[in-house]
Amino acid sequence: MVEVLKSFSDAMADTVAQASAGIVRVEGRKRLAATGIVWSDDGVIVTAHHVLRRDDDIHIVLANGESHAATLIGRDPNSDLAVLRVNGTLQPIPKAPADQPVRVGNLVLALGRPGESVQATLGVVSAIGSGQMDGVIQTDVVMYPGFSGGPLVDASGFVRGMNTSGFMRGVSVTVSTEKITSVVDVLLKHGKMKQGFLGIGAQPVRLRENISEQVGQETGLMLASVEKSSPAEAANLYEGDIIVKLDGQPTRNLDELLALLNGERVGKAVPVTIVRSGQVQEVNVTIGEKQ
Amino acid sequence: MTNIFQQLSDQMAGVAIQVQNTLVQITDGRGSIGAGTIWHSDGLIVTNAHVVIEHDRRGLVQQRQLSVILPDGRTLPASILAIDEANDLAALAVNAQDLPVIEPGDSQALRPGEWVMALGHPWGVRDSMTAGVVIGAGNNLPEMQPGREWIALNLTLRPGHSGGPLVNTDGHLVGINTMISGPEVGFAVPSHVVKNFLKEALGAAGTVV
Repeated sequence: MVEVLKSFSDAMADTVAQASAGIVRVEGRKRLAATGIVWSDDGVIVTAHHVLRRDDDIHIVLANGESHAATLIGRDPNSDLAVLRVNGTLQPIPKAPADQPVRVGNLVLALGRPGESVQATLGVVSAIGSGQMDGVIQTDVVMYPGFSGGPLVDASGFVRGMNTSGFMRGVSVTVSTEKITSVVDVLLKHGKMKQGFLGIGAQPVRLRENISEQVGQETGLMLASVEKSSPAEAANLYEGDIIVKLDGQPTRNLDELLALLNGERVGKAVPVTIVRSGQVQEVNVTIGEKQ
Repeated sequence: MTNIFQQLSDQMAGVAIQVQNTLVQITDGRGSIGAGTIWHSDGLIVTNAHVVIEHDRRGLVQQRQLSVILPDGRTLPASILAIDEANDLAALAVNAQDLPVIEPGDSQALRPGEWVMALGHPWGVRDSMTAGVVIGAGNNLPEMQPGREWIALNLTLRPGHSGGPLVNTDGHLVGINTMISGPEVGFAVPSHVVKNFLKEALGAAGTVV
């Protein structure tokens, strides 16, 4: 009989050992150190925004014990990501091909290096985020102290995302590799994330029943103010208008609107569905950039 | 032909049966107070110090009416041979011969991510098994005071697992289940620490032959 249990155990320990070179210790806060992921061989390291309590005097420690000074390239508090750079050539953890998505039920390892050696916990992929949770993978892996900023690695040794317990106390999530890639690209280019801007003050209101049926949602955002020379004013939005959708996505509350005003929409003309004088209308708004 | 899921499941059940043969329950005459592992066929049993002693106003005291329920169902009175409070280990003796003994494993060869199984009697539920991976091992783990050796475990230890065996996929002893930190993290004393304790406390009797 093939010793599958032993093979299973060896395969997991081998996966940890192979990823080890791509997992660094991140020293950027007073208490326990955290973990970082070697993202590319030119010295780019991804870690969690919340584990860097300072912008300078950040160090990373490699698997071989070497300590390097790291430069903070930028942060994105929205996704709890931070990008660091060190001089030298590093060995990144391989990323999965696009045609091999992670699936609910897959076994995954959370890895960390808060101390000298790499550490591991095992879990199952519970859910793949969509909609507002796009770019987030939920698992039941245990986040051992110092694991924030470390990789979620699958059975093939591919990095599937960055684990963080920084969003909510006691809840840990994984920011997907796809999300990290897009944030890293922007931070390497601009040093910060772009945030979309409309130039409005708004509050959620309940929609009248016939409108609610027409647009398929119960609430929208009523404009209380429109700033001068703002994208909203340029699009002829007025106080009293109720925004119900932006770029086809519902804006039932301010959180939904803010999530839609991400960097990718900056500079783009997008359709905005409004309720004005009891009528549903559509206007085009060119999203500005928040300064 | 069974699939790999069935094979894994069957082999884990096989390890459980193999190890349950060497797993004892420790009682204080009123009920279960922990688990123990048969180290030597002549009745040498290893458990945690905190299972068999407690502190009160007068200091260190032994649990009264200490006895051991063997895998074959016999209940025998037990005496404490040696205690190592610093490493939370105790050696007990029962009057019995030809007991099945746990196979020793190499705790210093454990790797993070390796699959391990812990046996014991959580909440008094007899001969239970929980399984998971080694998080890390050594004397410098984040949560623990430096200097003392531990194996950090990603599995579900509960009261009653204390003193029970932690085994590798061969069913060989790599640690003694000792502590809990949060619902899904446990700590075991590595078996090489147990070996040293027995060697120092008991001399040749502690050597597994």
